[in-house]
Parts: sequence; C-alpha cells; structure tokens
Amino acid sequence: MNDHHEQRLARVFVELADTLVDDFDLLEFLSMLVERCVELLDVAAAGVVLTDNKGGLRMAAASSEQARLVELFAVQADDGPCLDCVRTGLPVYSTDLVADELRWPRFAPAARTAGFVATHAVPMRLRRTVIGALNLFKAEPNGVDDASVQLGQALADVATIGMLQQRAIDDNTILIEQLQTALNSRVVIEQAKGVLSAHTDVDMDHAFAALRGYARSHNLRLSELAFAVANGTADLKAIIAGANHLARRAKP
Amino acid sequence: MTENHRPRLRALLATNGDHRVGALNRICALAVLELEVTGVGVTLVGRSGAIEAHQRLVHASDTVAARLEDLQLTVGEGPGLTAVISGAPVLIPDLAAARSRWPAFCPDAQRAGAEAMFAFPLTLGAITLGSLDCYRTTTGGLSTYHVAAALMLAEMAFEALLAEVAGHAPDDLGWISDIHAEVHQATGMVSYQLGVSVQAALLRIRAYAYAHELAVAIVARRIVDRSLLLDNEN
Repeated sequence: MNDHHEQRLARVFVELADTLVDDFDLLEFLSMLVERCVELLDVAAAGVVLTDNKGGLRMAAASSEQARLVELFAVQADDGPCLDCVRTGLPVYSTDLVADELRWPRFAPAARTAGFVATHAVPMRLRRTVIGALNLFKAEPNGVDDASVQLGQALADVATIGMLQQRAIDDNTILIEQLQTALNSRVVIEQAKGVLSAHTDVDMDHAFAALRGYARSHNLRLSELAFAVANGTADLKAIIAGANHLARRAKP
Repeated sequence: MTENHRPRLRALLATNGDHRVGALNRICALAVLELEVTGVGVTLVGRSGAIEAHQRLVHASDTVAARLEDLQLTVGEGPGLTAVISGAPVLIPDLAAARSRWPAFCPDAQRAGAEAMFAFPLTLGAITLGSLDCYRTTTGGLSTYHVAAALMLAEMAFEALLAEVAGHAPDDLGWISDIHAEVHQATGMVSYQLGVSVQAALLRIRAYAYAHELAVAIVARRIVDRSLLLDNEN
C-alpha cells in the first residue's frame, strides 16, 4: 500500500468520523461507505443489506444503482452470501461463483450474469445481534484479498458504531427505529428516483446521483430531499441541473 | 434471525366470511393477541402531522385506545404522529420516562390508563396513510417476535386501508411485502407522468395489473423500461 493510498484511506476515516459527530443519517452514510469501498478496496462493486426486523434482508445501499447489481440483493432473499453471513454472524465468501452454483442456486448464476466472479460478505454486528452485511464483489478471479476484507469490516463496524452513538442499547428499540427509518427512506429514494427519471429521461443511476449531489451541496438530508421529490414539492429542474456528468439514458 | 411468521399470520387472518367486512378489525384483533398489548387504535393521518380534513379514527379496540387516538389529534403530538412523520416505529416501553418528548400527550395518556405505547407507521416510502398504535396498561417492551409480528401486521393494515381508499375489497393481503425497488420507481414515474400523488400512482399501477392479469412487478418493469405508459383512464 503506497503513501497516496494511505492518505486517501486516512481521509476516508476522517470523513466517516465527521459524519458520526454531525446529525447521523444512516442511509447517506451507507451510500458513502459503499462508494469508498469501491474506491479504496480492490473490488468492482459493494452493497449493504440490513435486517428488516421481520426475518428478511433488504438492500440499503449499493455502489451502483444499475439494475444488475440491485437485483443481486433482491435475489439474496432466498440464498447467497449475505443470508449465510447474517445467519451465522461470520464472514462468508466464494472465490469462484461457477463452482458455487449448488451452494447458492439463485444467487450464484445471477452474480455471474452480472459479471462477477468472486464475492465476500462481512457481518455488521452489535454484540450478539447481526443487523446486516457488507457484500463485496470482484469481476476478476482470486477472491477478495485479506487487506480489503479487513478494511471492509472496519468500515462496516464504523457504520454500526454510528447507529449506536446516541444512547446505550439495552432494549433494542433505538436499533429497530434506526433500521426501519433507513429502510423506509430507501423506499422514498426509489420513488424519488422514479419521479426524476420521468422528468428528465435519465436512468436510475443518474437520478440517484443527482439526488445525492443536490442534497450535499445544499446541506439537506438525503431522505428529506427524496421525500420532497416523491411528494411533488421539490424543484426538479434545479436538482437535475446541479448533477455533474449527467448522461442521457441509452436508448434500447 | 426471526423465523418467517408471515404465512401463519395471513392464515390466521383468513376467514370463511366476507373479506370486505372488517379486514382492519381482524388485523387489529390479531395485533392485540400477537403483541400481547391491551389495545390497538388506527388513525388516518397525513405526513405533515397537521390536522387535515380526512384525519379520523378508523379503529379502536377499546375506549382507552380511542381516547389515545383522540388525544393525539387534539394536542397534535404523540408516538403515533411521530411515527408517521419519521416513517419508522416509535417504541415507548415507559410513557412516564418519555414525558419530555411529548409533554402535552404523555400525562393525559397515562391518566387514561396507558403506561407503554408502540406506534407503527402505515407508510410505504412517501405514501403515508396513518399509524397503528398499540398500548399497554403496564410498562415493558416488545420482544423480537412482537416487533416482527407488528411490522407484518402494519403492512397488512396498510394494504387494507389502501384498498379501502381505492374502493375495492382487500382480497390480496400480502402484495405489498412482495414488491421490490422497481415498483417504487414505477410509482414515482407514474406520479410524475399523470400528475398525481404517489398513493394514486401505486393504485393506478395495481389497477392496471389486475385489469390485465399481470403481476405488479411485470407492469412496473415495463413502466421503468418505458415500454408502457399509463394514462388516467380507469
């Protein structure tokens, strides 16, 4: 790891620590987390799933909003590394998704179709409660390297700490409230992406980038901006205009 | 992880009788049993929390539950209203300890007999119908199972209320739990395209799916990839 990489890494931890001091927005934090994972770790994609408190897992953030990656998390409701990881509380990985088709009959083929060859899931755990998982993907063979896994786990642990910083958790209520808030916000964000996408004919990935960019530059909570967009009270032109590197959705 | 109790809850809800009558009542009665609470109330309320014309009590299992719902609307604060605004459950195992959060609500709520309250929003993203408010006459929290059951029952209550708003039978409790991101995206798109609320957009998508005997997910996929453009006709 060279000096430049170390500096970027140090900056990321400072950035993450800053968010813990401010008004903590779990969804925005997780979006940042998966973005940093792809930048700093030797992985092609990353995503976070959270327990929905009903026995299921739902995607909270992904390094790309493209359908091929997002669907990989929907599929993991039935089998996959995230489910195994959350159930056992242990890291789960595959260095060869072709060989692991029997292990994960729904997930493995879908991941391969999406262009991934290897995967690694690390648990997001608070004492004995596993609240979700960070899932890393590689498009090249050989699996996710140890340094990346350890760093990914450290970043995921920062997210878990962020959720707990306010009060002691003895009765789980704060945790449940935060998880459910994040999951409901996720739905609002999807609805908002749809509104923006219809307004300007951009794809969902760019709609999401536009939302995040505008929220940041105007110091707004992502979830609140998304709610305004979904509710029809936001200035859609301004949001789209503020997005960088916007590309028109490719016609089929 | 919690075992999946959804099929069992749905089976408990199914009756041989007319589904059009009392789906919400049956859901609330089941909530009292499964959550081991004293009573349950459901109020229709918009996200702003401000008193709106359509706000009303739609269910109360007893007079105390009715009093708690009425109190929230009267003083303009309370766990249920907070749940609606935040889009997340508000779990208060001890109302006395929460007085600083709702100073206008808690004392009177306790006088009415409530010592604990658990409010679950009836929301789907920006679609806000109201809240399902449970109370107990003793302090104490909800177990992991209670929370899971409450979230599932809140989902069903949301579906039942949505069906009521749309004016048809809640004959398919469970479709909400199956929907994925694309349905939400399609909801946003239709909302923009038709100039209607997200609530109306979701109902429009569902109506189209039913009319054409397609899964909601398929209709959503077509809307998102722009091969289907819905219009306002019913």
